Amino acid sequence: MTTQTIYDVIVVGSGASGGVAAYTLASKGLKVLCLEAGRMIEPHKDFHNHKPPYRWPYRGHGKPGQYGKLPQGMEWKINEWTDQLFTIPHDDPYALAPGAKFTWTRLRAVGGRTLVWGRESGRFGPLDFKPKSLQDGFGEDWPLSYEDLEPYYDKIEALIGMSGGGEEVYNSPASKNALPAFNARCGELLIKKGAAKLGMKTVSMPLAVLSKPYDNRLACHYCGACNFGCDTASRFSTLEVLFPKIQKMPNFTLRTNAVVNRVLMDRNSGKACGVSFIDATNNQEYEVFGKAVVLGASMVESLRILFNSRNREFPQGLANSSGTLGRYLMEHVAFNQLSGFFPELAGRPSTNDDGPGANSLYIPRFNFEKNNKFLRGYRFTVETGCSMGPGPGAELPGFGSAYKKRIKELYPAAVNIGGYGEGLPFEWNFVEIDPDGLTDRFGIPQVRFHTNAEYDNAFALRDEMYGQMEEILRVSGAELLPYEKRNPYPMGSVTHEAGGARMGDDPKKSVLDGWNRCHDIKNLLVVDAAAFVSHPEKSITLTIMALAVRACEHLMEELRLSA
Amino acid sequence: MDEGRVSRRNALRYLGLLTASAAGREFLASWLPMQLVRGDEHRAPVTISGMHHEIQEPEPVVKYAPQFFNADEFRTVEILAAMIIPTDEAPGAKEAQVANYIDFVVFSAAEFEPLLQKKWIDGLAFLERESQRQFSKSFRDVDQADRVKLLTDMSAPERNPNVKHDGFAFFSVVKDMTVEGFYTSKIGLIEVLDYQGMNYMPDFPGCTHPEHH
Repeated sequence: MTTQTIYDVIVVGSGASGGVAAYTLASKGLKVLCLEAGRMIEPHKDFHNHKPPYRWPYRGHGKPGQYGKLPQGMEWKINEWTDQLFTIPHDDPYALAPGAKFTWTRLRAVGGRTLVWGRESGRFGPLDFKPKSLQDGFGEDWPLSYEDLEPYYDKIEALIGMSGGGEEVYNSPASKNALPAFNARCGELLIKKGAAKLGMKTVSMPLAVLSKPYDNRLACHYCGACNFGCDTASRFSTLEVLFPKIQKMPNFTLRTNAVVNRVLMDRNSGKACGVSFIDATNNQEYEVFGKAVVLGASMVESLRILFNSRNREFPQGLANSSGTLGRYLMEHVAFNQLSGFFPELAGRPSTNDDGPGANSLYIPRFNFEKNNKFLRGYRFTVETGCSMGPGPGAELPGFGSAYKKRIKELYPAAVNIGGYGEGLPFEWNFVEIDPDGLTDRFGIPQVRFHTNAEYDNAFALRDEMYGQMEEILRVSGAELLPYEKRNPYPMGSVTHEAGGARMGDDPKKSVLDGWNRCHDIKNLLVVDAAAFVSHPEKSITLTIMALAVRACEHLMEELRLSA
Repeated sequence: MDEGRVSRRNALRYLGLLTASAAGREFLASWLPMQLVRGDEHRAPVTISGMHHEIQEPEPVVKYAPQFFNADEFRTVEILAAMIIPTDEAPGAKEAQVANYIDFVVFSAAEFEPLLQKKWIDGLAFLERESQRQFSKSFRDVDQADRVKLLTDMSAPERNPNVKHDGFAFFSVVKDMTVEGFYTSKIGLIEVLDYQGMNYMPDFPGCTHPEHH
């Protein structure tokens, strides 16, 4: 006869939120069980970041239509380099309400989406936590300030290892624990000079990639293929950086192929007491028990678990006394990049411009003046130089030898500029459990999205961004290729989806409190982007991780006091 | 020209760095026995065995046999691909066997994107009809100048969006797939464009033009 183990904390998920939570708790000696829905990854077998396109049957694109339709510019998400990591939509579909769009990128594996993430790691600024009171009265403030999160930004930067981002810009705070910035490509320097003429500051991009060896990890080797995984762990992933630090600890257990479907509740105390999961290898259901439960399964999955845990006390979804669970979903305002070329770089010999796999520079948000066109702001990134594709010349009219020579001539001169704008929270952007009964491959009720990214503020931001991007290219001496204005991309397209269990001081208007605890169930935490109250123009992963560290340190203190 | 690339000496330095750390040793152990290979061919860098690097691509033993197009159609596809990306001072679609790639992709579209197959079938039929109408011959027998004329007509909307042409949709498919097939081939990407990435560099110099700093 065996007795059931009672863990201190059960963590659901092993990516940016779950992985950081598990590390934070286990490294301090708590008895932690981390449940990951996917399999263990072996980087030297599972990553193909040095495999050129001509070594794949479909040159990296996959069989036509195999991965479904992704918005233009988002094709990097699923391809032949990475399709063994992702859940392919038509293999395991999710539901969309009529007219709704959502691009849900699911990666079930130890490390989650940190295996292939974009690595931009800027901090949110003081205004970003107080959009209602300090910016324009729209939305809600976070129940914490920049100063509250600042020490955890310091900590997480040191933990993950990063480079660049050392320059202080208004409301885009500098990284404090960062290695030297990466060198800039020629085109980036031309953009920097051009943008300066418009009064825009261009600074080094904070990237979770190592410019020097750090923490027993190798510096970047500049293969440029970080989106396909990294075989030297020179970019941060929880798989290669955090789990090796805790995996041999006797107080830490990682269980893979554990697809969590429900949070288990203790009837008498009204507290969470564990979770149930389906083992993906045998389809059997299991229950595990802990003193606290931390959900870090990714925004949509954590919401789905809460909805699927509905019970007599919470018929509309667990911890949903406010009725806001699943609502106020957000995503960056995003659309197509503009392409062009620098005549002064045309015809030069090719150079290796892969670098750290991302842009070395970027233009942080610069407009904080009130205007009557839109709320909030945006920032820009540029990609320049020789890349793994034919570049701007291929977009020109024509065919034949002259066309081919033009492609070659413009190949080193390429420039693409794109940007992200702040996404706003609306109650009517929501997710629920599909009322028509769709289930996933394990029989777990699947979600239905009611999301629309095509709202007025997004269009207004977009229009100004197109104009600014044209202007930046022009003053930098670039020639712009013709382009079509696109509607804002569907939510989820940037993989920066957030909200749905937002934090707040008022239990009637929010699901989580200022420590990522459910207002209704204090030993149940949600530490992924579902907790977000607003969605600034910055990338969100660093803030997810800093919040997870803060929430888990607070949880540890609570468990210590209650022991 | 090879400065930014991992030279033999730099590769050894890189390995030294690897073995200096515990993580590095563990990491190296996964690909022992380790081998440094010096490529002598154009654009073949020093590389490390086990790192998915491209050294020498063996020639396929069996010649590619078209799976979707019949012999006449396949010949037309070869002609079209070579018209989009011809062989000039540099190799073109012919050397990169772009027609093989197109045939393979169109064949594979049956499962999820059968419309692509229809586009090619209809497009090739259109091309034959136009060719017979204008030149009273199959496209395959028309001389090069007339072929260029026909393709130029079909591509007119590229230059002026107000112009319409029934063959433009097909021209776009041919052009897109030829460009994709050529510039993702080793010949197109490495030999012609001289793409140097996906490689090991000990350092990333960034822009090396003094005038841009």
